[in-house]
Amino acid sequence: MLGHAIESDRQFLFNAFVITPHLIAAVMSAGVVAGMLGALLGLGGGVFLVPFLNLALGLPFKVAGAISLMTVVATSSAVSARTAGRNLINLRLGMLLEVASAAGGLVAALTLHLFPERMLYGLFALVTAVISGMMLTRLDRRNVLDARVDPGRLGGRYYDDESGREVVYRVKRLPIGMSVSWLAGYVSGALGIGGGILKVPTLNLWCGVPLRAAAATSGLMIGVTAVASIPIHYANGYILPGHAASAVLGVLLGSQAGFWFGDRARARWLKLLMACLLFSVSMLYLVKVRL
Amino acid sequence: MTNEFEAFARLERQLGRLLLIGLTTASALLSLGLAAQIAAPAGRASGTLLTMGLVTLMATPMLRVVASIVEYARMREWFFVLITLVVLAELTVSVVVALRR
Repeated sequence: MLGHAIESDRQFLFNAFVITPHLIAAVMSAGVVAGMLGALLGLGGGVFLVPFLNLALGLPFKVAGAISLMTVVATSSAVSARTAGRNLINLRLGMLLEVASAAGGLVAALTLHLFPERMLYGLFALVTAVISGMMLTRLDRRNVLDARVDPGRLGGRYYDDESGREVVYRVKRLPIGMSVSWLAGYVSGALGIGGGILKVPTLNLWCGVPLRAAAATSGLMIGVTAVASIPIHYANGYILPGHAASAVLGVLLGSQAGFWFGDRARARWLKLLMACLLFSVSMLYLVKVRL
Repeated sequence: MTNEFEAFARLERQLGRLLLIGLTTASALLSLGLAAQIAAPAGRASGTLLTMGLVTLMATPMLRVVASIVEYARMREWFFVLITLVVLAELTVSVVVALRR
């Protein structure tokens, strides 16, 4: 047990949670698992890392969230590097939505001190419940048009390795996209998760972007959104350097391993397992709200 | 039309490589920082290394945004230059607020 910290006291935090070799190993391992799950499920590892840091290691929720947010940056950069240059990332759409998303993250970081931990538990419980629900019912709508169609200013065109064809799509329902992006940014900044879980379905189901392009675009976006709130978390002392470093390194390793194993289609049982796990986490946090 | 996409794709690939360099640098600094933390916990080297690593990590998406501005400027897509500048402004606000605390 590492004790409970008085949140506003930065020095206390620093001293109370000194990093030891054991802790480094523990946090790094957690990072590896989170990174692998993230790469395999196409979902950020943050939703798994935050409960680990908060419940298992006893770190305050805001600290757990801030540390997890650093790993989101790492994941984002790793994914963007991989998907670069294949016209999968819709930079135009991504940046447009980022205007809203970064704003949400900024607001979250600025207002975080106003919220008691219990409210964050409730929000986390809600978001994880939604995520586990989405994992169980994920639809994969095909938004593919004829290759001769003009994708318009925001649409995209790329070569899909899987189907061996050129894929073209147009973008629609931008207002919804912007609103949900703001919300995703807010949730990201407040809870320390990537928010991709909100962005990918939004892009795919509502804005008409094919799944692979949506995933690639979201991958880039979550890093930018995270960086909108991280500096402020850092200034508040929520980012414990030793823990953050261990977590980031673990996640980078884990995601590389996850990419190697690759095959997401067969991750069906894994998705089911994780959805159940996530739902349990959600219930746990719901209980914490009342305690 | 195809040339535009190819040029863009090329820029994007270069950017991808830049991101990887950033990640590698950050990882190296963080690893060294952790090692220093274990080997000499009382020293200040670990703190500095860890901070540098974390800052490098934070800089990678920011660099990504700046590079996008340049990309769009080169392609004369002024609307998206503006959009990306707004995003950069938001990130800058965050850093400025943080530095003032």
